[in-house]
Amino acid sequence: MDQEQLPAPSNPLGMQGVEFIEYTTREPLALGALLQQLGFRPIARHRSREVMLYRQGGMNIIVDAHPESVREVSRGSAPAIAAVAFRVRDAALAHRRALELGAWDMPTRAAAMELLIPGVHGVGDSLIYFVDRHDELSIYDVDFVYLEGVDRAPPALAGLHWFGLVQAVQSDRIDAWIDFYRTLFGFEPLRRGQYFGVLPKGTLLRSPDGGFYFQLVEPPAGADFVEWNEALLRVGLGTADVLGAVRALEARGLVFVDREPVRPSEKGALTQIYLGGFCVELVVSSVAGSA
Amino acid sequence: MKLEDFGMDTITLAGPIEAKLCAVRDAGFTQIMLSARDLVGHPDGESAAVEAVRRSGLRVTGLQVLRDFEGLSGQLHAYKVDVAKAMLRLAHEVGAPLILACSSTSAHADGDFDAQVADLRKLAMLGVPLGIRVAYEALSWGRRVDDLTDAWALVNAANVANLGLGIDSFHMLARETPLEALDAINPAKIFFVQLSDFMWSAPSTPQERLETARHSRVFPGEGAHSEPLGDLIRGLDNLGYARDYSFEVFNDDYIQMPPARVAERARRSVQWITDHVSRRSLPVRRSVAT
Repeated sequence: MDQEQLPAPSNPLGMQGVEFIEYTTREPLALGALLQQLGFRPIARHRSREVMLYRQGGMNIIVDAHPESVREVSRGSAPAIAAVAFRVRDAALAHRRALELGAWDMPTRAAAMELLIPGVHGVGDSLIYFVDRHDELSIYDVDFVYLEGVDRAPPALAGLHWFGLVQAVQSDRIDAWIDFYRTLFGFEPLRRGQYFGVLPKGTLLRSPDGGFYFQLVEPPAGADFVEWNEALLRVGLGTADVLGAVRALEARGLVFVDREPVRPSEKGALTQIYLGGFCVELVVSSVAGSA
Repeated sequence: MKLEDFGMDTITLAGPIEAKLCAVRDAGFTQIMLSARDLVGHPDGESAAVEAVRRSGLRVTGLQVLRDFEGLSGQLHAYKVDVAKAMLRLAHEVGAPLILACSSTSAHADGDFDAQVADLRKLAMLGVPLGIRVAYEALSWGRRVDDLTDAWALVNAANVANLGLGIDSFHMLARETPLEALDAINPAKIFFVQLSDFMWSAPSTPQERLETARHSRVFPGEGAHSEPLGDLIRGLDNLGYARDYSFEVFNDDYIQMPPARVAERARRSVQWITDHVSRRSLPVRRSVAT
């Protein structure tokens, strides 16, 4: 029996990266094809719902096309980031602590996972899950059936790993969201002006384990008439060699935005927008965060 | 200052929400401070009330009022958290950017400073995903917090962006809180200001303050404390306060008068303030004694 390990104050939940990110979509085949171009492989199918698990390296993506989930999260037809699951030392404890500090418990809706994964409300309609079964017994073993003959641990293309999530916030709400992620999950804002990637704007928050970032982005100045809802906009994938990754992904048919200021560079790159709203950002990162 | 800076509270007016909205709008106001009771008491349900607010075209200043939140524990705390969530959801539905929470009067509330701070932080955190700020206000008959300085101490210690102060002139006048109390406050943390006066000298007991506050308030310019009230508004203006003012006038007579007549009085009160107190972004204009 291990001795009880008290979490360090700087990482109150014992957070260790991201277990999965979940998308909802009305077009699961199209999104699945896109994910495969990005290097993800289909791994398992949900036992009873229209839900698929994709994986590469240390990254899991759940694609949820269950009609109820899609109705709740996706307003338009574009895939929406519906959830992020943090790996923590004790999910029940993390959940209880978040509720005590003012999180909203996840709604009793049909979630992708039937296994009871505790979660709280994130931005917009999204959820933040807490997962602690990420070592031996996988959470996917309960809900999913692995595809026949599939390699359950496909390597990551070009060393891709989770880097972060970009979140839209309303004007003057950055500080409120910093309080939210700091209080409930132990994220800390980086000092002003410290950025990664090709889109240096907004405020960056680093996870207590250092492996994951939220980038909070306010509406552009003078954009009074732009529709700007608070939501998770896109994922950032880290790689030590952005240009190498861009070449590898271009060879698989992905298109990157090739004009300033986001032209692919050693710092980062941005794919074009697919399916009416899906894009991915590459960010230079030598730390394989949650891989 | 201009008319757009001021709004009325539904609690001042008689009648169903539609009549209140109509009277406020017809008097030229552009914003309304809603009472949750006005919404949920609608005969066709709160969604009909929400629809009426949307249709009115009035901007919603905020939603009031969450009572007795801080300092509770166990079951009582859990119960109040549920109440707070219901109010936040309602605020979200009706497009209110803030809720007003007033200091606890509960005999069951703990006076422990840190516990109260933790509760207010929690309330503020609950508001974040819904985009709703929390303005915390000292009731002059509050059990643990009964003046501006105490309320500010909690808000300041909580130190979260989503929590700020609500200032109600009534409570400052009733407690004869010196204007200097404002000096200690970070003006950016004043989220909301409610204005009213009353017609006699400061009541001496909490019970008298409560009675006056609930039944006998009047609009600024109509009461016995025009000078200190003017000084307060001027003081806030000088601090750079640029958010909303609303008339929080509980008055037993006004809820026996046609809403349009009462809204006219509110409109005259705006005139009194702009004539006698100050003008935003213009040099302060003093009243000339006649």
